[in-house]
Amino acid sequence: MNRNTLLYIFLFFLVSCTTTYQPKSMNYQGYSVSPKIKSDTALTNLLQPYSGEVQRMMQKVIGFTNSNMYRRQPESILGNFMADCMQQMAAVKFGKPVDVGFMNNGGIRAELQKGNITLGNIYELMPFDNMVVIQELKGDVLEQFIHHIAADRGWPISKGSSYVIRSGKAEQIIINGKPLNRDATYVVANSDYIAAGGSNASMLKAIPAENKGYLMRDALVEYIGLMTRQGKPVDGQLENRASIANE
Amino acid sequence: MNRRKFIRETALTAGALMASSVAGAVPAEYPLTILHTNDVHSHLDPFPMDGSRNQGLGGVATRSSLIKDIREEADQVLLLDAGDIFQGTPYFNLYKGEPEIRAMSKMGYDAATMGNHDFDAGIENFANQLQHASFPIVICNYDFTGTPMENNYRPYTIIQKGKQKVGILGVGIELDGLVPANLYGNTVYKNPVESANATVELLRQQQCDFIICLSHLGDKYEEDKVSDEILAKESYDIDLIIGGHTHRFFSQPRKYRNRKGGDVLVNQVGWGGLQLGRLDYIFSSNKRKNLSKAHTVIVTRKTNE
Repeated sequence: MNRNTLLYIFLFFLVSCTTTYQPKSMNYQGYSVSPKIKSDTALTNLLQPYSGEVQRMMQKVIGFTNSNMYRRQPESILGNFMADCMQQMAAVKFGKPVDVGFMNNGGIRAELQKGNITLGNIYELMPFDNMVVIQELKGDVLEQFIHHIAADRGWPISKGSSYVIRSGKAEQIIINGKPLNRDATYVVANSDYIAAGGSNASMLKAIPAENKGYLMRDALVEYIGLMTRQGKPVDGQLENRASIANE
Repeated sequence: MNRRKFIRETALTAGALMASSVAGAVPAEYPLTILHTNDVHSHLDPFPMDGSRNQGLGGVATRSSLIKDIREEADQVLLLDAGDIFQGTPYFNLYKGEPEIRAMSKMGYDAATMGNHDFDAGIENFANQLQHASFPIVICNYDFTGTPMENNYRPYTIIQKGKQKVGILGVGIELDGLVPANLYGNTVYKNPVESANATVELLRQQQCDFIICLSHLGDKYEEDKVSDEILAKESYDIDLIIGGHTHRFFSQPRKYRNRKGGDVLVNQVGWGGLQLGRLDYIFSSNKRKNLSKAHTVIVTRKTNE
């Protein structure tokens, strides 16, 4: 018996004697990270040099509004402002004309009170990290999408475009000043979430979206910045962009 | 080791010795506690007190004290994150992820994987912020050759926890169409199921007792898109998938059968650091000859008081 054989026998015993451990049961508990739990001062101290600056940044005034801006369906001043931002900032970011911009009604998470608008207000308005994307939609697909938002009691649409909701369907659809043409192609700005078929907008799902990683929140901040530099408030008028037909 | 823990572990060891010497005795039990988060999205502070559903919840200071309390009572604890550490509060806009990574290091995270939003300030920024990390980034299906991440990640890590050798790998989501190309640079995405199965084989060869996959694939989709559900069913030896991306709050882990007929658990705890998941596993010891046998895991849930 040579040394190698002995070594193999030794290794065989070593391996065969090794104990392994197998999971046999698991108990789950999901903890809510609740304010009732005490804070760890080590972490509070770690954050302190950063959080002071963050608070100052959140309190920075970036614009103003002369009216309380509420979330309403089918149309609101707040929604109009956000849809205009989608259209105009998409045009700037993607460097091409954008026919129409939309705002997912469920994505408006706060309201703006009359007076100064702070950066913190915009984080509350848009806490998600959704991005502005554009898609090239054939008129018939755009029409399906507008039927969809009409059935959801109306979502904000950008200036120059409008629709009337009758029995949960859209009619008299105007895009960028002209009646919708089913055979035309439109450049449409939406959130990446909606463009990917979110909120049951399944007609958009298969259509490629151009995405430059431009956060809707950043678009809002930049759009307000543009208006403020022109001395304009962010509020506006109700314009019957989305309205419900008298039946 | 504190006194309470020392006494308990000594008792456990003594118990194990006795059990192994007495035929027919109850086999020894070995605990492993896994704590996890996903999609924290720069939520270092609790959610603002603005009347919304999540007000006051979350925040690293509270999470840290919760973790410390659990570490006091449990013997073997792992703390893991499934990606999208970055983006969502002004902390990220101002500091590009530095306080997020420092906070995770302070809390003693053992490993994390990368989410799509971790590329948001560019791949070079993520690599740079890892200078503040005391934990590895594990991901096996991104080829980072020729990128700033090249020397800043591992396909997997192995951590000895008590008796158990735990293998931890990571898988990431397809970046094309989700992350602008200029942000992820030369990163090459590979099939997560194939990459995970190949990596798990390496972990098995290194005799890991338990294999955890940190995943940013998303739990499941209506369309035909790779997910934790698909990975679980097509895997061979993954025991647990800690998921993310889809921001789902699971009431308890989902259980799937892998290709060997063994149990795979999948869990996810929403987003924003609102929850901390805790899985208390109990292991039994086996002779090596039983290794390849598919095992089942009994799942129970403790309701919150």
